[in-house]
Amino acid sequence: MGLPTVKSDKTGLFCAAGAALLAALAAFSLFTGKYPLTLEGLLSGDAMQLRVFWTLRVSRTLVGAAGGFALGAAGFVYQTVFRNPLASPDVIGVSSGASAGAAAGILFLSGAGAVTAASFAGALAAVALALGLSALDRSGRHSTIVLAGIAVHALAQTALMCLKLTADPERELASIEYWIMGSLNGISGYSIGGNLALCTACVVVLFLLHRQLLLLSAEEGEARMLGVSVGRLRLAVLLAATLAVSCVVSLSGLISFVGLLAPHGARLLTRRNGPGTMLLGGLLGGILLTGADILARSVAATELPVSIFTSLLGAPFLIFLVIKGRKAV
Amino acid sequence: MRMKETLSLLLAAGMSLSLAACGTAQVESSSASEPAASEAEPAQTAEQAAPAAEGAGEGTVYPVTLTDQAGREVTIESEPETLVSGYYISTSLLIALDLDEKLVGIEAKADTRPICQLSAPALLELPSVGTAKEFDLEGCAALEPDLVILPLKLQDAADSLEELGITALVVNPEDQELLNEAATLIGTATNTQARAGELLAFAQTQQARLGEVLAGVETPSVYLAGNSDFLSTAGDAMYQSDMIRMAGGVNAAAEITDTYWAEASYEQVLAWDPEYIILASDASYTVDDVLGDPNLAGCAAVESGNVYQIPGNAEAWDSPVPGGILGAVWLSGVLHPEECPEADTMAVIDEFYQTFYGFTYSEIG
Repeated sequence: MGLPTVKSDKTGLFCAAGAALLAALAAFSLFTGKYPLTLEGLLSGDAMQLRVFWTLRVSRTLVGAAGGFALGAAGFVYQTVFRNPLASPDVIGVSSGASAGAAAGILFLSGAGAVTAASFAGALAAVALALGLSALDRSGRHSTIVLAGIAVHALAQTALMCLKLTADPERELASIEYWIMGSLNGISGYSIGGNLALCTACVVVLFLLHRQLLLLSAEEGEARMLGVSVGRLRLAVLLAATLAVSCVVSLSGLISFVGLLAPHGARLLTRRNGPGTMLLGGLLGGILLTGADILARSVAATELPVSIFTSLLGAPFLIFLVIKGRKAV
Repeated sequence: MRMKETLSLLLAAGMSLSLAACGTAQVESSSASEPAASEAEPAQTAEQAAPAAEGAGEGTVYPVTLTDQAGREVTIESEPETLVSGYYISTSLLIALDLDEKLVGIEAKADTRPICQLSAPALLELPSVGTAKEFDLEGCAALEPDLVILPLKLQDAADSLEELGITALVVNPEDQELLNEAATLIGTATNTQARAGELLAFAQTQQARLGEVLAGVETPSVYLAGNSDFLSTAGDAMYQSDMIRMAGGVNAAAEITDTYWAEASYEQVLAWDPEYIILASDASYTVDDVLGDPNLAGCAAVESGNVYQIPGNAEAWDSPVPGGILGAVWLSGVLHPEECPEADTMAVIDEFYQTFYGFTYSEIG
């Protein structure tokens, strides 16, 4: 009994440290950017500084921290449900569906929020198709979902290719490519409300379902014996995780590695699979995305795609985990 | 185990470094690939361009060997009677050089560019040879043209055409200087040097006129918002920055050194606080979108209503088309209406299109 207690204490410790680091990064993020914000200016009520702070800086920081958290927590869910440490939202075609949706939005829609709405719709369509196809197989094997996801991913990629082919290279193609690279640039308080609310609700649902989620990570036969309706439960958690991811990527464009890496890191640290690890996965996701976004907006005179930095930080870490962390998974 | 951990750390560090290099290279290559090619070309074509310009009016003696803007040696045996253009700028150039009747094939989507409709609508009936993304090599060869003019992106297609025995000339009009060289090159290849000389002289005359009229004026800051979205902008090294300078303004994004469209942020635009916001001609958003964008509240240009879009009724003047100088002419009228009254500006624009394209710009609305 002693060992688990010690380990759960450690999980709490890691979570506290992660939360502190995320809070510190978020505070740093609030005062990093191209507009010269000063504490004096904000306190003295400078209208422009206040507007930039509340409309742009706070919302960008919020999306970095909360979006990264959602990607990390959702990644944990995918890896648990599929019992595969390499599972991520891409497995059921969310990212490619969102990309195809965004491309369609760039080509055929206009107006504020059109691309966000279109990419969200694309992600949802991909997920509905993948889960719908997998439901045709009544055996309830999770490998069916993976196969359906691969098929949907391929279809979405084909749609994206067709859309790119018809795009004007000067305008639309450039926009599509930039969207796919992912960026928190352009995020403002006027555009994030709905996405952030839905994303938060989905993450809350995931945490509420954490006990059932653990059962899903067991063998299906065992889960059934414990009275769990595997098919429905899997559908529910995947839907909540996917909705959360869709909310984030439709705002930011594709973000590499966070959903894959953050839960890995959490498992390596806690060597457990419980809600504490999911929380830590979320915190690591928030840390990774907030840190990458700070770099993306400050290392050059222009804005750089955030995925460059999430990959840059994430890829070496993943190799480190693959070699060192096998014993932990 | 210790060995394994050390090895994994080394691998991780190595991966990080290689990715860092890769990441930087990608960012730079996306912004610098075209200008890098551009910078390489002038030296190769300058020798050719200079004698051609000097010899304006003397006519081309065939066979003539030219060095095109990809550095390829191209020999043209006799004056071409049939032409194919695979690029909208070279098509516009050929119309300006009075060669549109010799065209037997043009680039795809020409119907989306008003200049053909306004000046040479018959071109829209010609077979398409595809785009820079998807060039129709066989379709082009089937037209059996005497000379094919292609952009630098289609250099491979030009080489393939040469192998098929079809003469192809590569042009790279990425800025005003390269456009001038392209005009001279095509003028020499098609025996229209005199007309090409007139075209170049028009731009030079207008540039000199603007320099005189705007000498000593205050230069307002101008944010040029790109085609793809409001936050993409042109840094100091770009063609569009020269346009702003010629029109008596200062590029608000001058600190950006990228040589291609760069991504700014709302914060950055607010920090620059430009007095004017100018939207690219083919922008996928409108002046009203910018004026109504709550993220730009407090920006001087938005507050004073100084948000304009470069007209695209005939051509996108913010791109290096033959009429590109008109972008500076139009913008000078926006930034300095007293020194450059609208009537004068319109007279210049009308003169250009009357002379080289045969229609009156002010009549198209």
